[in-house]
Amino acid sequence: MSSDTIVVIGGGPGGLRAARGIAEIGGKVVLIEQRDFLGGTPIAENYAGLTPLNEPAKPAMQRMIDAVTAQPGADIRLSTQVRAVAGDAGAFTLTLRGPGGEESLDCGAIIIATGFGHFDPGRETQMYGYYEFPDVIALQDLEAMLSDHNVVRPSNGQPPERVCFIQCVGSRDRHIGNEYCSKVCCGVASKEAIEVRQLLPDSKVFIFYIDMRMYGFWENEIYWPAQEKYHVQYVKGIITEVLPKDGRLLVRGEDTTMGRPMEVPMDLVVLSVGMEPSPGTRKMARLLGVRQNKYGFVDAVAGPLDPVSTSREGIYACGAALGPADLEDTVSSASDAAMKAFAFLRSRSVAAAS
Amino acid sequence: MPVSGRKVPPHAIEKEQATVASPISGREVELPAMWNRMFESRVLSDYGPDGFAKIGALPGGESLEWCYGCGKCIPVCPVDVVGEYGPRKLHRKVQTGTDLFGDPDLWLCTTCGNCLRVCPKEVDMIQIMPAVRESAITDGGQVPAELQDVFEKTFRYGNALGANPRRRAQWAASAGVPVRILAKDPAPVDVLFYVEDYWSYHPRGQEAAKAFARVATALGVDWAILGPEEKTLGDSQRLAGEKGLFDSLVEDAAATLAKYSFQRIVTPDPHAFNALVKEYPKRGHEFDALHYTQLLAPLAGQITWAKTLNLKVTFHDPCYLGRHNGEYDAPRTLIEAIPGVELVEMGRCRENGYCCGGGGGGMWLDGFSRDYASERLSERRVREAAQTGAEVLVVCCPYEVSRFEDAAKSTGNDHLRVLDIIELIDEAMGLRPADG
Repeated sequence: MSSDTIVVIGGGPGGLRAARGIAEIGGKVVLIEQRDFLGGTPIAENYAGLTPLNEPAKPAMQRMIDAVTAQPGADIRLSTQVRAVAGDAGAFTLTLRGPGGEESLDCGAIIIATGFGHFDPGRETQMYGYYEFPDVIALQDLEAMLSDHNVVRPSNGQPPERVCFIQCVGSRDRHIGNEYCSKVCCGVASKEAIEVRQLLPDSKVFIFYIDMRMYGFWENEIYWPAQEKYHVQYVKGIITEVLPKDGRLLVRGEDTTMGRPMEVPMDLVVLSVGMEPSPGTRKMARLLGVRQNKYGFVDAVAGPLDPVSTSREGIYACGAALGPADLEDTVSSASDAAMKAFAFLRSRSVAAAS
Repeated sequence: MPVSGRKVPPHAIEKEQATVASPISGREVELPAMWNRMFESRVLSDYGPDGFAKIGALPGGESLEWCYGCGKCIPVCPVDVVGEYGPRKLHRKVQTGTDLFGDPDLWLCTTCGNCLRVCPKEVDMIQIMPAVRESAITDGGQVPAELQDVFEKTFRYGNALGANPRRRAQWAASAGVPVRILAKDPAPVDVLFYVEDYWSYHPRGQEAAKAFARVATALGVDWAILGPEEKTLGDSQRLAGEKGLFDSLVEDAAATLAKYSFQRIVTPDPHAFNALVKEYPKRGHEFDALHYTQLLAPLAGQITWAKTLNLKVTFHDPCYLGRHNGEYDAPRTLIEAIPGVELVEMGRCRENGYCCGGGGGGMWLDGFSRDYASERLSERRVREAAQTGAEVLVVCCPYEVSRFEDAAKSTGNDHLRVLDIIELIDEAMGLRPADG
């Protein structure tokens, strides 16, 4: 049945921004979140600070949440999943399963804001030993420690003297199947490196990289301060294996600028894991019947000037459901998707009335 | 002959088969042929920010750490062209534990400024090198003997050559025109001509000084020199690390200059010019300073020429006139004004001019640098000049005539004459006495 309601699937930064936008311009919006809380990955994965400005994640996300809950036109459904879809653009009917059981919901347009998941370092083809060595952790593990202001070696609870980040874990890798650059890890790792140096001023922090990719203002907001103010050591050369040695971890790789091998002892090794489509993104894309690219992200079919339209009319996507995205990308595309969905329904109702 | 110099290949040990063991992990790997050289005693065990911290603690030393390894400096570093020193490499060496304070690399940089020109992070070797050198000197580090000798001569005699200060104006006697010395005739003057060391004492420099005397007099310039009162301004000694010596020379020079009334200071030495426009104001001494080409270029239209020279020449931009102080046109205006002179540019000219090797103390480190370069920078430059087909390599820095004349001989380019611009002007104006 024809409906002027827009459903936003996913309650992270993108979904919150889209829902708020729709409500603010007078639309009816239902925000569906499978978790029992809003805020998405930054909250679920205990992010300490948001990249690039390192604003504390929890209050920042709470502000986004409050901006949605304050809208009378926004209907928020937590612990709710989309189970089925019927109908077509302008008159979709979703089957939802929530705390109160199954129900159906009519809507005219849908925004997929189901985001990304962190690459599982157990799948990497090097020998980093994420599941083997307690002191090999991933970006989000360090985020959790930074949130507690307590960065230690998980093996012994002691603060690390030497910390390194290994970039491009699970990204830019044909073996793994993720040829793309995950776009944010350079900035996130550098941001975390700064936080480690702030928290542990005596620590030495290294970032081993293939290319540092910090676009636009991230260069001056993160990269240069990390290097110039916080003395993070950037080493061009990627690590190929991590070995235990005398209670420490030995990272081995090639120092490409010197053209020779390197072996450096570390106390804590942080894997800069990339972005993959979240399970929710894969599931929703299949269920809604929108085209996915080879990596499982929702395909934006209309090219760079319309980055949010999917292969199915009336269904839009935003943020990291479309591919690696930082927060700026995410909220920008969320606003774009909100505008497109709202305009789509408005133009249909105008056409129907005339 | 290829344009680039012969590079010294890295020392490598290669065997058909080799089993190498890492001294750290203990792992053994059997490697064939070329790959084993990667493992020959080259494993790094430790590195970190300590080297940068030590250098960064010195005023001016902060920026070495800023390098992000783009490598733009390496192709434009004149020292790397003939050797294996370059700013990015140095950054990496310091990161991997090299103690720059005791390393030969400390003395290889000529402070030519070409790396800073291209550096996206503004890693400033022009400040880093003097700061670290000064610290190394103060802490009793290894200063190359030939450089130490120059420091001592400068301290004792007020000139880098160790010449008798009383004979500083001796060249003037045979200039062919009267040269006014302010100590004897202290009346106000328009141009105080600061001759500097190499035009005062070096035989080839004296030729140029005499030429200047004749040209300036013929053009009606009201000028005079300090004579025996003059000491070097010591800018290259400063860049070589002797800041204390430089500071005391500033005091001496400022006191001497304060005795006389003049409008402008003109010098043939781009290094002195650099000191006057950049270092003296920082210490409270403001002068209207000009390089001699800047004094003469506006007068080029008034020159009465006596001869057509019919010469094909090329011009070498002095680093401290060009890149450091932005003057590329005054020398060219003068060269192109000379009748019959055709100027052909070298590939590396103006902003990308190749260093003669004399700056930042390099003038006095040729013996030391020989062990770290396949050839001298001046030799490299002379071969580039010869490739243009020019008969004369024209210069306007007192360091260069002797450097390039030596290099022309050692590279088998004896046919290439090296002349200061002022010598060409002197000749074309017909002022040069027949007996030279």
